[in-house]
Amino acid sequence: MPATKERPKPFVLPEFCKGCGRCISACPKHCISEGTEINPRTGLVPVVLNLEHCNGCGLCIDACPEPYGLRETPVDQDYELLDPEKLFGSRMTDAPEPVDHPDEAVPLAQMEPLVLKGNYASAVGALLAGCRHFFGYPITPSTEGAELMAKLLPKLDGVFLQAVSEVAAVNMMYGCGGAGMRCMTFTSSPGFSLMLEGISYMIGSEVPGVFVDVMRGGPGLGNIAPEQADIKLACRGLGHGNTHAIVLVPSTPQEMLDLTMLAFDLAFKYRNPVVVLSDGYLGQMTGKVTLPAQMVKPGIPAWAVWGDREHRRNLMSSIYLSEPDLEAWNVHLNEKYEAMKVEQRADLFLCDDAEVVLVACNTPSRMAKGAVEALRAQGIKAGLFRPMTLFPFPIDSLKPVLSHARRLVVVEASNGQLEDEVKLALANAGVRDYPEIEHVRHFGGVLPQLEEIVVKVAAGEEVTV
Amino acid sequence: MTTSSFYSRFERHSHGEGLKGHATHYCPGCGHGLAHKYLAEAIDELGIQDRTVAVSPVGCSVFLYYYFDVGNTQAAHGRAPAVAIGHKLANPESIVVSYQGDGDLASIGLAEIVSTAQLGIPISVVFVNNAIYGMTGGQMAPTTLMGQRTATSPDGRSAFMGQPTKMAELISGLDGPVYVERVALFNAKQRNRAKKAIRKALQIQVEGRGFAFVEVLAECPTHLKATPEEAEKWVEEQMLPVFPLGVKKDEVREPWWPTHRPTYDRETVLKTIGGGEEHAPRACKGFPSHVARHDISLKLAGSGGDGAQTAAMLIVRAGINEGFDATHIPAYGPESRGGTSYADVHVADTEVLSPASPKPNVLIAFNAPSLVKFGPDVLPGGTIIYDSSVIHELQPFRAGVKVVGVPMAEIAVGLGKAMVKNIVALGALQAVTEIFPKETFLTAIRQALKDKCALIPLNEEAFAWGIKAVQQVEVA
Repeated sequence: MPATKERPKPFVLPEFCKGCGRCISACPKHCISEGTEINPRTGLVPVVLNLEHCNGCGLCIDACPEPYGLRETPVDQDYELLDPEKLFGSRMTDAPEPVDHPDEAVPLAQMEPLVLKGNYASAVGALLAGCRHFFGYPITPSTEGAELMAKLLPKLDGVFLQAVSEVAAVNMMYGCGGAGMRCMTFTSSPGFSLMLEGISYMIGSEVPGVFVDVMRGGPGLGNIAPEQADIKLACRGLGHGNTHAIVLVPSTPQEMLDLTMLAFDLAFKYRNPVVVLSDGYLGQMTGKVTLPAQMVKPGIPAWAVWGDREHRRNLMSSIYLSEPDLEAWNVHLNEKYEAMKVEQRADLFLCDDAEVVLVACNTPSRMAKGAVEALRAQGIKAGLFRPMTLFPFPIDSLKPVLSHARRLVVVEASNGQLEDEVKLALANAGVRDYPEIEHVRHFGGVLPQLEEIVVKVAAGEEVTV
Repeated sequence: MTTSSFYSRFERHSHGEGLKGHATHYCPGCGHGLAHKYLAEAIDELGIQDRTVAVSPVGCSVFLYYYFDVGNTQAAHGRAPAVAIGHKLANPESIVVSYQGDGDLASIGLAEIVSTAQLGIPISVVFVNNAIYGMTGGQMAPTTLMGQRTATSPDGRSAFMGQPTKMAELISGLDGPVYVERVALFNAKQRNRAKKAIRKALQIQVEGRGFAFVEVLAECPTHLKATPEEAEKWVEEQMLPVFPLGVKKDEVREPWWPTHRPTYDRETVLKTIGGGEEHAPRACKGFPSHVARHDISLKLAGSGGDGAQTAAMLIVRAGINEGFDATHIPAYGPESRGGTSYADVHVADTEVLSPASPKPNVLIAFNAPSLVKFGPDVLPGGTIIYDSSVIHELQPFRAGVKVVGVPMAEIAVGLGKAMVKNIVALGALQAVTEIFPKETFLTAIRQALKDKCALIPLNEEAFAWGIKAVQQVEVA
């Protein structure tokens, strides 16, 4: 007969027993009974063990729902039944403190310019930025970006996954970005609406990720022509809670590449999603694209939930049950939004002496730029202020321009969403003295045209054409 | 023995203060604790604690991460499987567990669990079904039994509220999963099975064999308004007839999950995106300002399949090769094929400002409706080139607009490939406007066809015919 080893019997720390009694029916020897005394520390009534007949079968332990409820009595070990710290350890975990595995910049030789569609340029930018994971759902007019990723990512042993919906896609990004990887999606307005819930979670949990929103006509299904009507979502409405993210606004295929690359750097710098707000025209527009001087080989950040020993203690979570904890977390996030203000970017065209300042971004800024040239030819001192970030709004470079601006004309393909950002930025910066804002607006896929901008501006000027 | 996959102290549970450092937030007798314990034991036994990433759901088990000493992520309501996919694809060697309750998985997260299961990606799902919403206070769940009283079915679940959803059966009906089992916790035998099932679900993932799903029928004594013992009995007597236990699917699939990492090798990346250092030869002497001073506006219009977009791309490529700026914007009808297809092209000496072409210098019309629609917009001094094999009637255009008909389709068909009529059009464009030298167009065509070299001679021929056709028209 093989030697029988004595099986350990159970013991219970009364403080950790909730008295549910599931062990009572599990014990075939009836060694456990309901208690009668209220534990003064928990207010609960723990079970009572009488181990006279216990054969150490362990069924009671299997039936106990508490991790530190009924336990095997340690054999051959010095223990102190009443001192949990001695028994279970004083530390939460023995996992090591993770360290950053930094990104690496890989220099590129000077290349011939590529001829690329805006959406393709953005995808190429993502690849050069070290993005190897794409999650998305097809939606016009953003789909070419996803299609190019589907074609190219497998060649780089990356992952393209078409999700069941935008809702699923953004949560895949939450997981993948939470694991410290550079991931992205291409979407368009209705899809962006669906992703907002997930973006709020990403912001709340400090998960980076890049969203290229190729804005189209709305509301509702709208159409597939260009609009700029997601500015309010990107700047003011990223899901519930006190959320913000850096919003980059390209106006050429070249900037689709450059700003997508920048988006990844900023997303990881601030541990926050970044939105590249494009428009249907720009996404479809083909143009000259020069490759950057370097590409990125990403590392693994210390905070990543990567799935190895080094990162075991990490957590992605946006839940803070206690009010002071959640307030402190919001204070932290708000400090981060404040810190993002150094990322303001703008492109100023003939603004140095401009008396009429046009404000425009995305494709409408190209028409506005043409209008500035035409107005200058008429002798009108016009200039273009083109934000390249909408959050943070580049107020620092707008303020000096205002000192000589007689007129401020916002040109946009939305119902004043860009104008609202201008006004809010002025108000927040304490600027009270500025000309009444005029505008050229279109909706539904119609873009402001060069000539109407010229007509609008010239109409208010004492210049005979 | 200490289960090492549990933290030694639950610091995330109210900062680990007092008893909360070692006790769960669950009500006495709750089935979640057992499922947690079996999951932790399985992680220990398989030696995968360091590799494991647990995804906490929304519901009572939202605080799974209080307890498990593994990588943790807390997901939005219902989205845990999508989050799990993100983790698994980021690090294919991680072991990812999506732990979900019935509201999370069977109600708000149906799309995510069904699509993830069908993908078959190796993740392990532990689905705790206690037939009620616990955390929000005892409302009806998708798995609530008929007649069961809850806060939102106060008179009992009726036909109007639908039947309880049988997730294990639903999931096992999909092709993706390899293993689906429903287990329970109401007695020692069932607990033993539950333990083994959870372990097996993880084992399958460790072996890279696919998606595994374990539905655990659990007790919620609090919202059943019962003692834990009564709740166990309720599960056995009431739930079992609706949710029969057992293995629903168990396929042996060979390990297939790839664990390779992405490449960031410079040469591979450049090859993939098509970057090169080779300069295209330049043939232009300067910007073709005879067409327009700084910025030439072109429109190419036809039906889908006419090749307007491809021709537009070639013009842009030609312009950029010559060191100019160039843009192209397509506009399609809603149809994938056969609808309208317009292309706006600009070539500018320094920068294209306004990329649309509402008033073009050059119009190429592949069909009559396009000519009618855009012909009148062509600027004085501009050019219209149309396909004279399909357009026979001309309306009057602005004074000073040059109009040239070229039988593009006819020539292309004569060459044996109707598709090249857009290249015939480019030849005609070159001959009529001399926007770029011939060589510039031919270089662009060869670049575009570098992966289909066999087609280059045909396209060169089509281009030459376009030029010849214009010369013939002009002679006539």
